[in-house]
Amino acid sequence: MSTLTSRSRRSGFRRGEAASGWLFTAPTIVIIGLFVVIPVFMALWVSFSDWGGRGSPFASTVNFVGAKNYSTLLAGGGLDEQNFGTALRNNAWYVVLVVPIQTAVSLILAILVNRAILRGRGFFRTAFYFPSVTSSVAITVLWLFLFGTTGAVNKVLSWVGIHGPNWFNDPNGVLHNILSVVGVKTGPAVLTGNTFLGVSWWDWLAGPSVAMSAFILMAIFTTSGTFMLLFVAALQNLGGDVTEAAMMDGANGWQRFWRVTLPQLRPTMFTVLTLGLIGCWQVFDQIYTGTQGAPGNTTLTPAYLSYTAAFSNQNWGQGAAIAFILFVIIVVFTIFQRWVLRDRAVSKRRMRLYRVPPADPRIAAASAAAASDSTEKTSGGAS
Amino acid sequence: MQRSSTRWYVAGAIAVAATLALSACGSGFSGGSPTSSNGALTSSSKPLTVLIGSSGPAETAAVNSQVAAWSKSSGTGAKVIAASDLNQQLAQGFAAKKPADVFYLSTDALAGYAKNGSLLAYGDQLTNKSDFYPSLVKSFTYNGQFYCAPKDFSTLQLIINTDMWQAAGLTSADYPTTWAQLETVSKKLTDANHVGLSISGEYARIGAFMTQAGGNLMNADSTKATANTAANVSALTEVKTLLNGGSLKYAKDVGAGWGGEAFGKGLAAMTIEGNWITGAMTTDYPNVKYKVVSLPKGPAGAGTLQFTNCWGIAADSPNQAAALKLVEQLTSASDQLAFSKAFGPMPSIKSAASEWKTANPGLVPFLDAASYAQGVPTADGSAAVVTDLNAKLATLGTGDPKTILDATQKNLQALLK
Amino acid sequence: MSETVKTAPAQATTNPTVPGGTPPSAGSPRPTAPKPHHRPVTVRGIVARSVLYAVLIAIALVYILPFLIEIATTFKTDADAAANPVTLVPANWSTVAIQQLFLNSDFPLWFKNSAIVTVFVTAGRVFFDSLAGYALARLHFRGRGVVFAALIAVMSVPAVVLLIPKFLVINQLGMYDSYAGMIIPLLVDAAGVFIMKNFFESIPVSVEEQAHIDGAGTFRVFWSIVLPMARPALVTIIILSFQGSWNELSQFIISTQDPSLTTLTKGVASLASGQLSQGTQYPLKLAAAVIMTIPVAVMFFVFQKRIMNTSEGAVKE
Repeated sequence: MSTLTSRSRRSGFRRGEAASGWLFTAPTIVIIGLFVVIPVFMALWVSFSDWGGRGSPFASTVNFVGAKNYSTLLAGGGLDEQNFGTALRNNAWYVVLVVPIQTAVSLILAILVNRAILRGRGFFRTAFYFPSVTSSVAITVLWLFLFGTTGAVNKVLSWVGIHGPNWFNDPNGVLHNILSVVGVKTGPAVLTGNTFLGVSWWDWLAGPSVAMSAFILMAIFTTSGTFMLLFVAALQNLGGDVTEAAMMDGANGWQRFWRVTLPQLRPTMFTVLTLGLIGCWQVFDQIYTGTQGAPGNTTLTPAYLSYTAAFSNQNWGQGAAIAFILFVIIVVFTIFQRWVLRDRAVSKRRMRLYRVPPADPRIAAASAAAASDSTEKTSGGAS
Repeated sequence: MQRSSTRWYVAGAIAVAATLALSACGSGFSGGSPTSSNGALTSSSKPLTVLIGSSGPAETAAVNSQVAAWSKSSGTGAKVIAASDLNQQLAQGFAAKKPADVFYLSTDALAGYAKNGSLLAYGDQLTNKSDFYPSLVKSFTYNGQFYCAPKDFSTLQLIINTDMWQAAGLTSADYPTTWAQLETVSKKLTDANHVGLSISGEYARIGAFMTQAGGNLMNADSTKATANTAANVSALTEVKTLLNGGSLKYAKDVGAGWGGEAFGKGLAAMTIEGNWITGAMTTDYPNVKYKVVSLPKGPAGAGTLQFTNCWGIAADSPNQAAALKLVEQLTSASDQLAFSKAFGPMPSIKSAASEWKTANPGLVPFLDAASYAQGVPTADGSAAVVTDLNAKLATLGTGDPKTILDATQKNLQALLK
Repeated sequence: MSETVKTAPAQATTNPTVPGGTPPSAGSPRPTAPKPHHRPVTVRGIVARSVLYAVLIAIALVYILPFLIEIATTFKTDADAAANPVTLVPANWSTVAIQQLFLNSDFPLWFKNSAIVTVFVTAGRVFFDSLAGYALARLHFRGRGVVFAALIAVMSVPAVVLLIPKFLVINQLGMYDSYAGMIIPLLVDAAGVFIMKNFFESIPVSVEEQAHIDGAGTFRVFWSIVLPMARPALVTIIILSFQGSWNELSQFIISTQDPSLTTLTKGVASLASGQLSQGTQYPLKLAAAVIMTIPVAVMFFVFQKRIMNTSEGAVKE
């Protein structure tokens, strides 16, 4: 066929395309618009209102109260501020520990199962990945049993002569525990006397409570499989020879791993870190199912606090405000992550220009898949 | 994406417009239906929904059968729903303006719902109003209005494992009547296998000691914070002494979910629980022999905490008149005694007391406490303060009672501003 | 999340024969994977290999044992579970927990509700995600860029932020306490659209163009030509949405209160916090957890194999 006819046919086809395009995307636009975009605006209004949870938030009896809900949380000086500060503290420790550890564990697992000489790697991959497919509710139930006072973990610990902690009932901060071993039982006055968000600096530095540590272990257990697969895909994309050589040659290989393999994994690493950060700030399911914030509010998280403020305590404005502050925190972290990444992304792109092998589409899709999966895992939230 | 900023603007405008359109159409919410707190009750032929937070199948079945009986005699339809999470379901029902007509309501939820107008204050219209124990009526009075009829109530007493008691060489003459005696017997009852006394480490148990010392977190009307009084400090100091002496352990520290479980599993020789423990003992630990005795007196005499729920009626109920009739029936002596038989709560009305005592001779100390038991704080937001206090009580063994109570005092005062 | 999105299109290129990149698919052998090496077997090599296996097996045990303990505990009595939390063989087999679950609780109802929601959500996502993904990948229309950008923005809104407002909207729309309120908000997910878009971009246009020339309408082309080619990606979407909706909790918390609409996640969560009974009752709770895990586990194992087998020859170029 001639160019001319082809073009005219195609442009005729184009005209219909616009309508089809909108038609095809309409369900997505409507559903996401209704259940994501509009809710965000509604919640924004609620967070600036005194709506008490009865009837419509747009009723004439509902008043605009300015930033009152936010100021109560951030500078109110009362219990609300203290609880919010505590929730932030708990979740911050969760993030600080889960993100690096799960990244390291998943990378190590990926390197181990990616060995070409390995027989049965399908089995190992399945074993490591399986915890990721189970629901956070089911895993939490299992964890409550394993980490019970007389549960499996403490039983195993007792075999090696360790008297295990009272996991989910132990509100003591891990760092405080360590410090008390070396004799530091109370903090210096400068730390105990001054507070931030209603929580003293000494308590900010308490570390995660023993109860929260059990949740931290759970997060690592359930997410490392997903991220391992991302690393595996990336490793395979590097070309086996490099990894293989780097891994097989002892100390020299170790150096080559640091200098050759790791830099090449950087994009995946950043993906994993970003996904981890976003997911870890949204811990909800585990707390709802497991501890409801106990013991001593040390497993309270902003997400759960937002839920209880609204649904149990009729403080809907405050609940919405907590959600938005959490939103801001997540956005700030994401932007920060992006800013760190910008430099690398460019060099990576340049690298791709000069190097022949195209990236594996599996990595892209797998990261998108992991995105929906891992946020769900780490946070238990919806996708 | 250079041109995208204007597009974004358009998209944003569309979203805002859609929000407005949505709020305008508002099928779910009809603004400003009159709250008939003073005067006429709504009335219609609509069937009633009764939302309960059930302790188990026995309670659900009992409520079902009593409601069904009323429904039959009155000709008004009624359906009982057992909530899986009562607080959340109530909150969502009120927000949706489709609340259950009649529902269980706890003392700490009353103020919040009363304040936002979700509740019908019908207490004064009850024909059997004067029959309720006054302290229970006080628990459901907010801003001077008696909101809802107390459903039933419970008090805390001391539960003793009689086998362990005898094994420790103790007799009925040794039932503790003072704090000092409590210390002595719990020490005697503590051995390698079980602890003398185990309770849940929370205000809802430890508060009993406060009342025995003459204190409590707030005054009876929950209009004044009294958390850091000397009485309360002495109560916490006593509990701390017991904890550090090793004869008292929190249930969680012996691997139990609550005092009743620690007691039933034989991890503790005594516990402080309410009359609901009898149900668990019958079904889960039928082989444990136990006796209920009054809690020891403190420096200020006898004291204990009482817990109660009421039958709330929604302000948005289309059939409040029928709901009120149903509540009157459900709080009548015959219905309350039927409930008591089915799952063990104590009637909230004086006229059913003697019959209840005859039917439950072993549980008399629980009901006898009606004359001196005190309620828990009901001020709006007090539940959060108590949660915070509970967090600190978990580490009472190493904490300072005065510091703990000072913080609670500050938090309670903030509620009353 | 948005970072993934940003880099992903650049990475997605040409290979349509590779499965859609589900997590399990990474388990499939890669054509270019290095062949078993030809180095002579040395003592050092054997030692290194043994150590590797030992380490891997130890780690695998850590990952698998909890589930084995979970299954074993399901068949224990309460007392046995408390006294011997680690043993993998119950002292005496008991099915009391499972009986109680199925005969004396709402567990079967929860299971049914989860199944209903999962079927509808999965079907909906497969259809709507691929529809939108196709439009964004192939159809040229004004505003495509905006739609795509908006989608990415939406992906970065954390789900927990939406708990309260989603309830408000569901309520406002009169869908509260209904299957509609549980299902419709989940019918589309931005990540799924994104995966489908990537996939469609990786298949050659020529086939479709031929079909258009033959006079087929856009939907026809999509439905009978493009979609069948997208099987690997669809499997990805199926797995993700099945898993996502079966394991979903918060959406069901905020969209229902009627006990007859309780799903497994919500029901088991209330079981865990002791609503159904007092005391610990671990065999009962773990039985519930095991049974609710079975469908996703089956799904996972079934499709893992299937992906490996279908990784070749979806399209002839």
